[in-house]
Amino acid sequence: MPRSVWKGPFVDGYLLKKAEVTRSSERNTVIKTWSRRSTILPQFVGLTFGVYNGQKFIPVMITEEMIGHKLGEFSPTRAYMGHGVDKKAKRG
Amino acid sequence: MTSALVTEDHICVGVITGSRGTKGEVTVKSFTGKPENLAAYGPVMDDLGHVFNIKVVSQKKGVLVVRLSGIKDRNTSDILKGKRLFILKSMLPKKEKNEFFFFDLLGLSAETVTGEKLGVIKNILNFGAGDILELSNGMMVSFAMETVPEVDLKRKRVVVKPPLEI
Repeated sequence: MPRSVWKGPFVDGYLLKKAEVTRSSERNTVIKTWSRRSTILPQFVGLTFGVYNGQKFIPVMITEEMIGHKLGEFSPTRAYMGHGVDKKAKRG
Repeated sequence: MTSALVTEDHICVGVITGSRGTKGEVTVKSFTGKPENLAAYGPVMDDLGHVFNIKVVSQKKGVLVVRLSGIKDRNTSDILKGKRLFILKSMLPKKEKNEFFFFDLLGLSAETVTGEKLGVIKNILNFGAGDILELSNGMMVSFAMETVPEVDLKRKRVVVKPPLEI
């Protein structure tokens, strides 16, 4: 069952404050957070969060397509690396 | 055991895990991103330098059933068990600008702008938010222009600008 629209998206308050500070400083900064439950808001686009997965902080660079998802979706707690001799990494 | 025929220009794309049936088909564990891409890069070579054309017959749970050219019976295919299959790196699809194969990046030395060594690239991850470089010192950095301004494949090093953390 989806969350009621009148409530608005959930974001931990401290995360909003940290995001605002980072946006105003315009420096290469990672916002460390344990708040995997927070929704990604439009004002987070361009920022990088270090989202804790129970072991380490996974850098998550926010893009427009990620709006509406939760931060935890991009920091899996169980990682299967798999194979990939033909896989490529693109520098964004 | 690495054969002298296998050079640095080759890359292992799979290993023959056994025989299947009586017509010389073999099962192969593929190391390509998509297992069926094993046959997409042309002929493969085994450890002993035998070159085979390859045709994927079926796939189940990540293991491919493959027909190799010149292998017609089970006795021959049994001999191939455990042999690795290689292709030339040049046979892989071309890279775009700012694109790098994982095997090019893995093992590169990571340094700061001032030349201070941070470690080597241990792993490359992607959880849906762009590629991430995992260094041997435990540091994880986004593979982006701001954090990795320079990738020098000839000198086998990348320059990393570790971001501030708040």
